[in-house]
Amino acid sequence: MFKNKKVKENIIGYGFLAPALTLLIIFLVIPVCMVIYYAFTDYYLLTPEARQFIGLENFKRLFADPIFIKSIWNTVKFVVWIIPVQLGAALGMALIVNKQRKGNMFFKVAFFAPVVMSLVVISILWLYLLNPNEGLINTLLEKVGIASQPFLTSPKQAMYTIVFVSAWQGAGYQMLLFLGGMQNIPGDVYEAAEIDGFTKFEQFWYITMPLLKPTVIFVLLTTLISAFKLIVQPMVMTQGGPMNSTMTMVYYIYQTGFTDRLGGYSSSIALIFTTMIGLITIVQRKLVKEDKEV
Amino acid sequence: MKKRSRMIAAVAAVLMGIMTGCGGEKKEEVSGNPGEIKVWVHFSDETPEGKAWQEIVDNFNEEYEGTYKAVTEYIPRSGSGGGYEDKVNAAITTNSLPDVITLDGPNTAAYAHSGVIAPLDEYLEDADMDDVLDSIIQQGTYDGKMYAFGFSESNVGVYYNKAMFKEAGIEEDQLPTLEDPWTWSEFQSVCKTITEKYQTPAINMQLASGDEMLTYGYTPFLWSNGGNVVNEDGTKAEGYFNDEKTVEALQFIQDLVKNGYTTISPIEKGFETGKYAMLLSGSWTMADLEENYTDIEYGILPYPVSDTTKELVSPTGSWQLAMTTKTEEKDASSEFIKYATNTESSKIISLGNSVLPIRNSTIELIKDEVSDGMRVLMEQNQMSGHARPVVVAYPQVSRAFQQAVQDISYFEENPDIQKVVDARATEMQQAIDNSLK
Repeated sequence: MFKNKKVKENIIGYGFLAPALTLLIIFLVIPVCMVIYYAFTDYYLLTPEARQFIGLENFKRLFADPIFIKSIWNTVKFVVWIIPVQLGAALGMALIVNKQRKGNMFFKVAFFAPVVMSLVVISILWLYLLNPNEGLINTLLEKVGIASQPFLTSPKQAMYTIVFVSAWQGAGYQMLLFLGGMQNIPGDVYEAAEIDGFTKFEQFWYITMPLLKPTVIFVLLTTLISAFKLIVQPMVMTQGGPMNSTMTMVYYIYQTGFTDRLGGYSSSIALIFTTMIGLITIVQRKLVKEDKEV
Repeated sequence: MKKRSRMIAAVAAVLMGIMTGCGGEKKEEVSGNPGEIKVWVHFSDETPEGKAWQEIVDNFNEEYEGTYKAVTEYIPRSGSGGGYEDKVNAAITTNSLPDVITLDGPNTAAYAHSGVIAPLDEYLEDADMDDVLDSIIQQGTYDGKMYAFGFSESNVGVYYNKAMFKEAGIEEDQLPTLEDPWTWSEFQSVCKTITEKYQTPAINMQLASGDEMLTYGYTPFLWSNGGNVVNEDGTKAEGYFNDEKTVEALQFIQDLVKNGYTTISPIEKGFETGKYAMLLSGSWTMADLEENYTDIEYGILPYPVSDTTKELVSPTGSWQLAMTTKTEEKDASSEFIKYATNTESSKIISLGNSVLPIRNSTIELIKDEVSDGMRVLMEQNQMSGHARPVVVAYPQVSRAFQQAVQDISYFEENPDIQKVVDARATEMQQAIDNSLK
């Protein structure tokens, strides 16, 4: 009788899991397996039947492909810059709106507004603002005596411009997370510190920061991974140029796969990309765990 | 107990939903009556193109009533042609292509090479091919066989602002004609006059577009100079794209940028708002000008030509019709393609969608109905139209070309044009070699 009940419970349990699992298998597990398989074939989109297993050929070609190598560096460059810029901005904004002040609501909404807008819309908007000849930004720069800048049309500045636009767009979301974390810190800790004669900065450094740490780690993890997936901004604003200076890995996956129809080649980039992200996640988790033990 | 069984039932229902949801994807392959064909097109039926198209299809169905019937499925594409081509790619994988598809000019080689579309030659014997523009035949021919038949044509010219030209002292009788176009050096001196007069770049050549426009608009400069992107049969780029003729043509472009006659970062709608005196653009700009910028009085000039050859070459290319290899209605499909590309159909689509005709007879027919600008482009097309290279690896070849043009427009970073074209030619060659393996 008892056994029977357990079996029944199990069936019901798996039954509840089934819808989610089925979807996961159809839309995640199977496609991932297909990509792994395609990465070792010469799959060409127009001749799906004729694909052949070619071993490591795709990977050999990849590492001799200057655009692919460049796309890795560009992606890393973007990530290295976006993390401090975006998280710094988010933290600053969270500090501003954390205190109860008049008009706080206005700032909260203003800081968060870009997050709810579509990335494509934001990119096009900034494209107009950043136009080197008649854009608003250059007009303002000239007013304060700075020579106008080429921004997106310069291979040197294009990526930094994208970093800036992306940080402006995304920071509101992390601000909200930081704010949640800050409001979880009990007020009496600050009171005690104030009595002990801590300055505002010391309070921030010795109380807010350490107590905010779990939030910071979570935000860092999620931002890092989404930063690697950069594609929309360069696609809309620069088409990967000038001179491939904003070609990112995900954009290159798209381009080789859908424009060039090289399904196999594109899959091999996707495989490398996924492995990279996986490794980074593992390293990150290890570091975070060690941190916790200390 | 009852609760539980209800839950199980609920879960089962959800599962069933998922299963049937997936199963529903499989379309039933009922090809209808014999003689009925399905046609996929890349535009929406709401556009002027869609309306003109429906008229052609209706005419066809009326004329062949009882024998053949064409049914169109409109699949609007996104900006860069994405949506439609994705659908075609998916249909290739699932083997569910219709009988006739539309495809962009440069796709001919890839589709033909992959066996997606079938040659049309045996059906075209009575289609009066001598009347068809050379550029249409070039564009649709792969490996000596005609696979795709363009149903409209496009062309590019130099738009100029009449008032600004006059003010800068360039008289009507100094303007070039199709018989006597400006050479590159004549063009440069005109640019100089205008740039000095207005203190802005003289012409927006769409250098900033960074897309297919660069290949489409700039290859004629190479061809005019006797250069080429790839060899005749589309197997070699090295030794063709990086020869001195290409370098000379790109030098001409680089000088225009260097001297400030054109720019890599043009003002938005600069020509349309009277800030630039010239614009290099296609027939589609006319509709925009006539609808939204009626203040500008403009004309269209032919392409500038190489100083050495003085040969007028202009870009062409548009979407085409092709019969898929899997169709069982070969006669109906080919008959439909022939019908949609005859003189009358070409007239309907040209006038309905403000595009250029594909047949000399259509040009004769509508010459007096169209605007001056359109007539210049029509005649330039007739005289000098050149289709883009027909190569299987076209997307990569075209992108390498675009990047070469972009590279040399950054003259400070890339003063050595030979080095740029050498690198890009290697890129093209690798893509071509891989595609033909």
